[in-house]
Amino acid sequence: MPDPEKPEPEKPELEKLAKAKSEKDRAEKLEKEKSPPAAEPQPTLAAKPGAAQPEEDSSQSFFGEPLVGFDPNEISGSLIVIEGMDGSGRSTQISLLQEWLESEGFSVQTSGLRRSNLVGRDIDELLAKNAVTRLTLALMYSTDFFDQVEHRIVPALKSGAVVLADRYVFTLIARGVVRGINRDYLAGLYAMALRPHQTFWLNVRPETAFGREFRKAQAISYWEAGRDMSLSHDLYWSFIRYQTMIKREFEAMAKKHSFVELDGEASVPTVNKLLRQRIAEHLGIRGTKYAPSSALAHLWR
Amino acid sequence: METQEAPKQPPRAEPVKSTLPQPGRPVPSRAYPGALIVVEGTDGSGKSTQLYLLKRWLEIGGYRLHFTEWNSSPLVKAATRRGKQRRLLTPTTFSLLHAADFADRCERQIMPLLQGDYLVLADRYVYTAFARDGARGCPQKWLRNLYRFAPVPDITFYFRAPLEVAVHRILSGRPKLKYYEAGMDLGLSYDRAESFRLFQARILEGYDNMVESDNFVVLDGTLPVNKLQKQMRDIVASKIDLKRFAPRAAEAE
Repeated sequence: MPDPEKPEPEKPELEKLAKAKSEKDRAEKLEKEKSPPAAEPQPTLAAKPGAAQPEEDSSQSFFGEPLVGFDPNEISGSLIVIEGMDGSGRSTQISLLQEWLESEGFSVQTSGLRRSNLVGRDIDELLAKNAVTRLTLALMYSTDFFDQVEHRIVPALKSGAVVLADRYVFTLIARGVVRGINRDYLAGLYAMALRPHQTFWLNVRPETAFGREFRKAQAISYWEAGRDMSLSHDLYWSFIRYQTMIKREFEAMAKKHSFVELDGEASVPTVNKLLRQRIAEHLGIRGTKYAPSSALAHLWR
Repeated sequence: METQEAPKQPPRAEPVKSTLPQPGRPVPSRAYPGALIVVEGTDGSGKSTQLYLLKRWLEIGGYRLHFTEWNSSPLVKAATRRGKQRRLLTPTTFSLLHAADFADRCERQIMPLLQGDYLVLADRYVYTAFARDGARGCPQKWLRNLYRFAPVPDITFYFRAPLEVAVHRILSGRPKLKYYEAGMDLGLSYDRAESFRLFQARILEGYDNMVESDNFVVLDGTLPVNKLQKQMRDIVASKIDLKRFAPRAAEAE
């Protein structure tokens, strides 16, 4: 791809900017004008007068449009996102981080895909029946996402909690893009999503992920293997191809959204330590000492 | 879903305007041979009655057609009901749920039927979302993007009735307005009838703003039913080559 995104100098500051309030408003606005929200657009499509692009002049807390009826100044908590493919160790790390943060005296809220009261179960059913088209599914996921933003994430952030998000818009965008839905469309759809304070990407090889996922359930699910995409009749290859496509999307987004990339192949304690260090820095926690309680000790390997 | 090859049917008089492209790419002109007729308007504007009569006229004439209604996909019905009952819906999720519903009908019915050379009649279309969700505060830019996969109608009838007429028709015919129907979630008024009136006024304004930009054919909703229907049929007959949708005649040729 002919350099769709040029790494911009102020990129590394993005997280801090999102955290800091008004003084840095202008710098952030500039940055935003240069880079349209979420997912870099394909060069050809970006130039078109599509609906979701330029002249974004909204709060720094969002990728684009502000959420309807929401005041970003009310936010005092932190939104921390953990992304990574199935089998990258996300949920394990989130359980451990939650315990650590609570022991440090922070209130923690979690979120994740398909957990909304509104449509979480409906999506489960749709997936089970496998009778849904790609766009409808993408929109159901976005409904699920925004329901959690409005009823779970935002209230927690207003109360000063740390929100640990098990996946975020990045997964939803990547899944849509690999299925042929326009990037700009998806970026516009999630323009009202809150910009995370920190985004960690647990990067693993699809081969490793396959082994881990298989061990968990002694099977690989239809969707994990991307079987709706008819990539291969062979389950293993379907999984590897699908997850590789997703991974490529993540590589592109990692630069654009300043992901903190961590080696998901490393041991649980090693990854956890790196996460704790970065999060401690962000939240102003002095020490990062932590050993899991007996309830979570089984995860510590 | 979308085909790139030009269909073999003769070109229609009215080229399709591609202001609402597919998620992948814009709908090219005449991406499909079928035709799409849409009715829009506030509650109580008479649009459903008129579309029903148009449908009967075409059905009796033996034309190949499909009728589709806003918010009718079984897929999201349970979620919509749950959301309404428990009042979980916000402007954003309300809008997204309707978009999911529409996407399901669009991908599984409307687009395939247009590609299969059908006449598709839609009672409410994306403009309902633009007007109604816009009245709830969703940004127009976001809404336009959300629905950009929708094929652009060949004719969009906008049944315009003055606010008082439309509101009176609804209030006198319905014992109790529902919470979201009355726009109670906007907090405009504690009185349901008053809230409904204020909400409908905003929607009406939203429709009026689209007349030019979206090529609405404006019809006077206060006219007698049969007169209005005559106008509607004349316009359909003049803008759409109806012969093409009468299968018997086509076979005979």
